[in-house]
Parts: sequence; C-alpha cells; structure tokens
Amino acid sequence: MKLSFLLLVITSFAAQAQLKHTISGYVKDTSNGEALIGATVFVKETGGGSITNVYGFYSITVPAAAYTIEISYVGYEKIVKQVNLENDIRLDIELKQEAEQLQEVVVTAEEDEKSDKVQNIEMSTNKLSIATIKKIPAFLGEVDIVKSLQLLPGISTVGEGASGFNVRGGSVGQNLILLDEAPVYNSSHLLGFFSVFNPDAVKDTKLYKGAIPSRYGGRLSSLLDVRMKEGNIKKFEATGGVGTIFSRLAIEGPIVKDKGSFIIAARRSYIDVLARPFVQLLKDGGALNFYDLTMKANYNLNDKNRVYASGFFGRDNFLFDKNQGFSWGNSTATLRWNHIFSKRLFANITGVYSSYDYKLQFGTDNINNFKWRSSISNYIFKPELSYFINTNNEVNFGGEVISYSFQPANAVGTSNGEAVDVSLARKYNRESSLYIGNSQKISPAFAVEYGMRYSFFQYLGEGSAYRYNDTIPGKRRTPISEKTYKKGETIASYGNWQPRFSVKVQLNEQSSIKSSYNRMVQYLHLISNTTASNPLDVWTPTSNNIKPQLADQMTLGYFKNIGKSNQWEASVEGYLRYTANQIDYIDGADLLINKYLEGDLLSGKGRAYGMEFYVQRKTGRLTGWVSYTLGKTELKVDGINRGDWYPTRYDQRHNFKVAAFYDINKRWSLSGDFIFTTGTPTTFPTSRYVSQGILIPYNANESRNNVRLSSYNRLDLSVRMEGKQFKRGKARKNHDYWVFSLYNVYARKNPFSIYFTQLDKRYVNGDPLQSQAVQLSIIGSIVPSVSYNFKF
Amino acid sequence: MKRYSQILLALVVTTLVLSSCETVIDPNLQKADPVLVVEAWLNNKPGDQVINLMKTQPYFDNTTPPGVSGATVTVQDSEGEVMSFLEDPNKKGTYRWSPLVGKTFGEVGRGYKLTVTLNGETFESVSYMGRVPEIDSITFKFEEKSSFYPKNSYTAEFWSRDLPGMGDTYWIKTTKNDTLLNKPAEISLAFDAGFSQGGNFDGVTFIPPIRSSINPNNTDADGKALSPYSPGDSVYVEIYSITNQTFNYLNQVSVQTNRPGGFGELFSSPLSNVSTNIYNSNPKGSKVVGFFNVAAVSGLGKRLKK
Repeated sequence: MKLSFLLLVITSFAAQAQLKHTISGYVKDTSNGEALIGATVFVKETGGGSITNVYGFYSITVPAAAYTIEISYVGYEKIVKQVNLENDIRLDIELKQEAEQLQEVVVTAEEDEKSDKVQNIEMSTNKLSIATIKKIPAFLGEVDIVKSLQLLPGISTVGEGASGFNVRGGSVGQNLILLDEAPVYNSSHLLGFFSVFNPDAVKDTKLYKGAIPSRYGGRLSSLLDVRMKEGNIKKFEATGGVGTIFSRLAIEGPIVKDKGSFIIAARRSYIDVLARPFVQLLKDGGALNFYDLTMKANYNLNDKNRVYASGFFGRDNFLFDKNQGFSWGNSTATLRWNHIFSKRLFANITGVYSSYDYKLQFGTDNINNFKWRSSISNYIFKPELSYFINTNNEVNFGGEVISYSFQPANAVGTSNGEAVDVSLARKYNRESSLYIGNSQKISPAFAVEYGMRYSFFQYLGEGSAYRYNDTIPGKRRTPISEKTYKKGETIASYGNWQPRFSVKVQLNEQSSIKSSYNRMVQYLHLISNTTASNPLDVWTPTSNNIKPQLADQMTLGYFKNIGKSNQWEASVEGYLRYTANQIDYIDGADLLINKYLEGDLLSGKGRAYGMEFYVQRKTGRLTGWVSYTLGKTELKVDGINRGDWYPTRYDQRHNFKVAAFYDINKRWSLSGDFIFTTGTPTTFPTSRYVSQGILIPYNANESRNNVRLSSYNRLDLSVRMEGKQFKRGKARKNHDYWVFSLYNVYARKNPFSIYFTQLDKRYVNGDPLQSQAVQLSIIGSIVPSVSYNFKF
Repeated sequence: MKRYSQILLALVVTTLVLSSCETVIDPNLQKADPVLVVEAWLNNKPGDQVINLMKTQPYFDNTTPPGVSGATVTVQDSEGEVMSFLEDPNKKGTYRWSPLVGKTFGEVGRGYKLTVTLNGETFESVSYMGRVPEIDSITFKFEEKSSFYPKNSYTAEFWSRDLPGMGDTYWIKTTKNDTLLNKPAEISLAFDAGFSQGGNFDGVTFIPPIRSSINPNNTDADGKALSPYSPGDSVYVEIYSITNQTFNYLNQVSVQTNRPGGFGELFSSPLSNVSTNIYNSNPKGSKVVGFFNVAAVSGLGKRLKK
C-alpha cells in the first residue's frame, strides 16, 4: 500500500517535469576535498535552489534556459557560475575558505543568507562548527562537543560528572546520538567529564531538538548527528595536541589523490603514564585510562558511486589490580554507499554495527571472584533515497531495520571454588521502520515539510516472558506466570505511526515564523535511578510489560536577522511536549542483575514546556551568543509524590548562557562563557526516626523533588595564542597554537547534590544519633589548564 | 550489586586528580507532624523481647526520640498463642515480654501477628520466623598488601552455607569487642548466599563480599581506612533470618543511609522514604512507620590470637 503510494507521488511529480533539466553534483572544500554539508546552491533567476545533503550532494531541476548559479557556504568564498542549461549537467564545485586568520572579521553574512535560520524551513536545530567548539573555554582544556552543546538554548545537564545531556526537559536516555549513522549508547569518558567524540575527527555536529524529519526516529527528545571528517583527499596532514588530560593525534591524507582519502584519529589519557612510577596501584597491574580511536576512509569509485567506511572504538579502564576493576566502552562500524541513480535520485545505503558494554570484576583469587559483563549491540540496515523533483520539492524516503541484542548480565560468581552462573537471558528485538517526507516550497514566502514514519517493534524469542500481578501504586510487582518462547517467535510487538509536519511563513527578507508538530516513539529505555546518569545504567527494551515511550511535540518560533549585513541573528521558540509511558522506579528498586526488573518499574506521563530566546552575533571582532531558556518539565506517576505532578531531576526554570569570542589581533584571541541556571530539584526530608540503630530520613509529606539546590553559575575564560606564522622572514608551513584556560574562574562551589546522613562515628550505648546535611560540589575550585595544538 | 559498584566507583574516582568539595549546611526543611514509629524486631535469643513505640522528630532534632506511652501491644503466633508486651514503667515507650525460665521467644516456621492499639487506633503487621544456617567457622587473614586496607592488616571472614531452597533471606550482624557494628555502611544482607534474588546463589557458601562483610568500617581522623582487626580483638558474628519484606526494607535503609559522599554521590539514589510493614487498620487513619520482623539467630565468636 505504502509503496504504491510512494510510486504514485514520485511518478506524478516526474510526469510534470519532463521538459526540464537537472544540475547536480557535490560541493567540496577546495583545500582538502571535504564535502560541505548544508552549502547553498542558489538559482538567481528562479529564486529557488537546493542545500547540499550530509554527503555534500545537491540537485536542481529547472526548465531549459540560461542561469546564474551561486554557490555559497559560511566561511567560504562565494562562487558564481553562468550555466546554459540545454541538457543535464553534472557540476561539482569546490569552495575556497576565506582568509585563514581572522576569517570572522572578513566574512559578510550575506554569503549564507539562503541557508540561514530565517530562510530555512528547519527549526529547533542547532549547529556548532568545530571552529566554534574549539574556541569555547573547555574543562581542563579539552575541547568537547557535548559540553559545548550545553551552551545552547534548551540544553542542560544536572551537573559536572553526569553522563550525557538533557534536551528540552527530556532525560539523558531520550537523546539519539549518531556518529556517522551509528548509535552511540554512552557518549562519555570518565563518567561524564568528557565526551567520546574526538574533535580532530569531527566535521559537523547538528542537534535536532524538535521538528525532526521523518528519516529519523527512535528517541523522544533529540537527535545529535555527528559527522566525521572524510580526511584530506589532496595532501597528507597531521593534527594533534597535548592537553591536561588527553594527548591527541590525527593523520589524514589521500588514498589515491582526488579519489579517496582516510583519517585516523586517536586520543589517550596519560595521567597513569605519568603517575606510574609513583603510584603502587599502577605498578601492581592497576590501570586508570581512557582512550578512543576514530577511523574513516572513503573512495570515489566513479561519478555515480562513492563508498565510506568508518569506525569508532573507545574504552575507559579503571583497574585496582589485575583482577579487580571496571571498564566500559562503545564500538561502532559504519559502511556506506552513495549511489546516484539519476541526476535527481540520490541514494545512500548504510550498514551499521554498534555496541556498548561494561565489565565489572572483583575477587582476590581463582576460587573467589565475580565477573560481570553487560552489553547492548545492534546491526542496522538503512537504505535512504532523496528524489529532487524540482526546486520546490525534495522527497526523502527509505527504511531502516535494526536488530538488537541485549545482554543484561553475563555474570559468574565463584564462591570458595563453587561457580554460580547468575547470568540473565539475552533479549532480542527488531525495530523496522519506513518513512517518507517531502520538503515543499509552495510560494516564495510559504514552505512546508511533511512526512510520516511508521515503526514496528518486536520482542523476539528465544526467551522467557513474565506476567506480573497488578500494580499497587509504588509497590514491587511479583511475577505470577512465565512463558517460554522459541527462537524467532514474537513475544510482543508494537506498531506506531509518527506524523511530522513543519511550516515556514516568510514575513520579509529578515524575518519568518515557523511551526512544527512531531510524534516520536522510543522503544529502548535507559534504566537509571541514580542522582546522575552513569556508565552502569542499563538499556532495556520494550516488552510485554514495558510499553514504548511516546512524545508529541509542538513548536512555534519567530526568527529574525538584524543589522545591515544581517550580522545579528535572533530567535524565539516555544515548545510543548507531552509524553506517555515514562519510566520511573519503585522506592528501593533493584536495577542490576535482576531477572524481575520489570516488576520494579513504574509507568507514568510527562509534560515539558518552555521558551527559548537566542541572539547571536555572527561577524565582527566580537562574536558569540546569548541564550535564555524558560522551561518546566514534570512527571506524574502513580505511587510517587502522592500521585501528583512532580518536577524531574533535570528541571530548570531559568537557564541563561553567554558565549563570547573576541579577536584581539592576528595572534591573540579571547573566549569566555558564563552559565546561570536554576538549581535542580531534589528531595529533602522533613523528619527522622531511628530503626535498628540507624537514622532514617523521612519525608512525612511523601513528596518527590520538593526543594531546589541553590543556583548554578560559572564563568570560564580562555586565551588562545597562535604560533608564529613567519620564521626568519619565511612563512612557516606548520600551524600551531596554545590555549590557556580557566574553568570556574571565581571558584564557585556549585552544588551537585545535598545528602542527609547520620554523623559517621560509633555511637556509644544510648547516645542519640546526630544528623547532618552535606552539600557536595563536584568542582569546588578554579581549574586552570594549558594545551598545545598543532597541524602540519 | 549496589554495594559492589558503590565501593568501586567511590574508589575509582577518588583516585583521580579532581577533588570534590563537601560542606555541611543547615537548610530549612518543611515542617511535618510527628508520626508513630513501631520498632518490633523480635528473635529467639534468650532473654526479654522488646518493642519500641516512638514518634518521628524534625530531621535536625538530635535528641533521643520521644517514647509513646499507653499502648496495648500484643503478638499472636500462628498456633494461637498470645504474648502481651507490657510497658516498662522506667522506660517510656518500651514494651517488654519475658519468656518463662529456660524458654525463648518463637519457633522457626511459625507466623506472627503484631497488634498495637493506641488512642482508639489499631496498627497491625505480620511476620514469620524463617530458618537460619549455622556458622561453621571464622578465619582471620593477614594481608601484607590490600586494595582496600592499609599494609599489614588483619581481615576476618565467616564461613557458612546457605540452606538449600530458594528465597532465604538473612541479616549478618557483627560485634567487635562488645561493640555492635551498626554504621549504615555495615549493614550486611544476603538473599540465599548472594546479594539479591536475581543473584540465584542458592545452597552454596556465602559469596566473598558477604563473608568478609564482618570487617568494621573504621577510619582514622583523615578518613583513611584502618586495619579491621588487631591481635587480641574478638569478633562475634550472628546470622538473623529475616523475611523477604524485611530484606527489601533493610536494602532500602542501606541505600538511603549509606552515603559515601564525594564522587560516590554520582551513583547514589535520590532520597525516598523506606518502606514499612506496619499498617493502620483504618487506611484513612494516622500514619505509621517502622518494621516488624521475627528472626531465628545463629552465632559464633572468635578471638584473634596475640
């Protein structure tokens, strides 16, 4: 049914377009051959055009005539071409970067007017260029993509050290993080202090907070699309640096010049290497390190075919000795094939393997130990097609099949020589989706994007499914029956239609109004009831007992460019999201190695709403932005907070951020950022009592998250010094720079949590227990750092 | 499992160069009316059995909890025998029952019902006396090097085997030199021979972390761990049988009260109320917290030779 509908759409458009010709091709960077994502190809005479896709491809179909084509991209020199269109033309274009130094001073914003936020139909998205990310003062001087995103509106975190990030009041597990199309299940190194993306290997990051196109699905609140660099196709290049935590090195170059290229980038923490001579633990076989390796290669088979292979491998190791410790990591592999079926039909076929696992190991010897491994892995097959019907319509359609395998626990304990296998059975799932969407310009002022995604999720055998007794709000449910299923048998399945719709109304050259509606479905659930998300959190699939999470989001925004050359960009966006089947936990839930985990889960609904204000200065010596978000996010779960709405752990009423960059001269530049957010909610007790000699904190009102920590605020500064460009009168080939940074400049002790406990001492008979409240700050002082970076 | 990860992670992260910072604060707390607390932990050890009735206090009220007088307290077993607990005239809120000479309270396998009548309201609970395995031995070990303790430490381990058959739950209590180890971090629980129901360790020797949970959590003024035992020290280990409900309760108590602080807080659960198995027979009546458990106890002691 769907397929015939699809064909109908395509053929009906194709029929009207017969006397037209197509210009298509790739837009690339002239210096290294990297594809430029989101470059504008504009046809002056028609006022229409195209924007290059994530592979740098564009296609424009217009009636035969002579045209002036303008190709532009932020930070690059515009190219204007005269084209006499009498038949189909392949036009690959290479753009040249603006003068390398102080490019922000030279660039006029006019260049990218067609791809800017006012003109584009996209809303609720944020793009951060690697150049900008590298300027943001970083914790311990380590440039970090995820931490940089947190300076943008609508994005927050519960504090330093917490894994992941929160988008528009969604939980950490509701973000889909894709690295070259491969899902990354834990984006953090060292708990949550650093993210796994090596900035030297990343080309482009884009965060969708709403208005997510139909080609994406699977998480409720956001999509972070991280694209790796392809590698310099023209010449060999090495980039790297030495920082406080990591040493980095990336090598890139052509495989065959102008045909194929590769990049290999590696990072490793080296504190343990420096500390080894001094720390006994490290000498005894202990380890404390984290590293990642990012690789990519691509090859241009011919004009119509190009293949890409990319991979990521990262790991954190914390071992006390040879036998005891903790480690975790992600690995991903992606194979892609870009095929141009015709000038107007572009296809990308992706195959992905991705996995996340952690291992815990304890024990002193062979007869007394405990080994535990938990993992999630998946294979993805994803054909995607773009059909460039004409300058007013671009249809995207395709499908996706994800096959999951969950291993909640593969654990063996040996007690005094007797081994006991406490593993839990693997769980198998399949998520199949089909989507179609069209981006349509109805008139110069009016554009719509509409689409539909259908996903079907299966919980498959072999395995056992349990049925539980009915829920008594807030109480553990006990299994009442068990049913075993054979391999491949369906235990439970769910299907969901997910409509997507966006509209843009152009008020004038400088301003527009946009709105969107979005339904999202999520079949995987990140199980975590700790104060902050951490690497031990387990992903668990939808089952006969856990329903898929659903979200409906509506957005409305006003976008405006200000200034003669549009050097200011401003926007206001409001969002409203209702969610269903949100997971919470009974008090005292046992989430690790628990066969009956599902009996400890509760289900409820959520709502989140907010307004995001954003002003950015894009050009000049002083650039940067100010962002303010007014938001609220709440949950309602039977058995928690007397059944009333309560704020989530990551609810922040006010979230204010400033990032500013100032170029002093060719060698020196300054950067700063400031963050102020309302304190996150927490639960305080009202009362105390003593049970079995232990002081129990008690909230007699049974409230959840009834108070707030004091506000979070922080200022970071950094200075960048470019290396000399000339040596003894000659221009240096190498480029290098130093970054000196100060994190938490005024040494504020921002609260991470407040906990209530009895004073840690031995109470002699009859002494009353002493209670106290302790406020914890993860970082309680100013953190200075220095890093050296080079490129040659 | 919680315990494993907490110990580990707290350690992992404290080894890092980063240092967190803790401040004792004095926040304003919401006010709440006092609630009745019923602490009824009975066992088959020789001597009087005691049930305490108290009231909750404001969280920062560091005085002895006020006792509640004037209640009628009875425990009835599944054979119909009723034991009346009478208030101690010298100790407000303490209700006592004395066994006949040479007898002890309760019998393994029987169910028990607690009834407390106070100011016209009736509070009830039920429990069960489960079976308990014997402790075979206690051993001391001299550790020249150790990941968790200083050099040249003595650690102790008890040896016992869970009774065959799933679903036994125990509470291991340790007394070192006449001092009961009852810091929140010292709560030691077992589901069969392992940490939790999902663990599936049935009928085997208690797993190593449980066997060595009898080492006190003692630190010096700088917060550094001390050797758990020294020559001349004595240790007495007891296993109490507890119901599965009590096991869950004490697990919650451990999670809520054992706050390692520092980076360990990244892995701790947010504050929530621990459960209770005491109910007001009128669900709309006044609130009650506390717990009722009836335990069979086995024990063994040993002294570390000088």
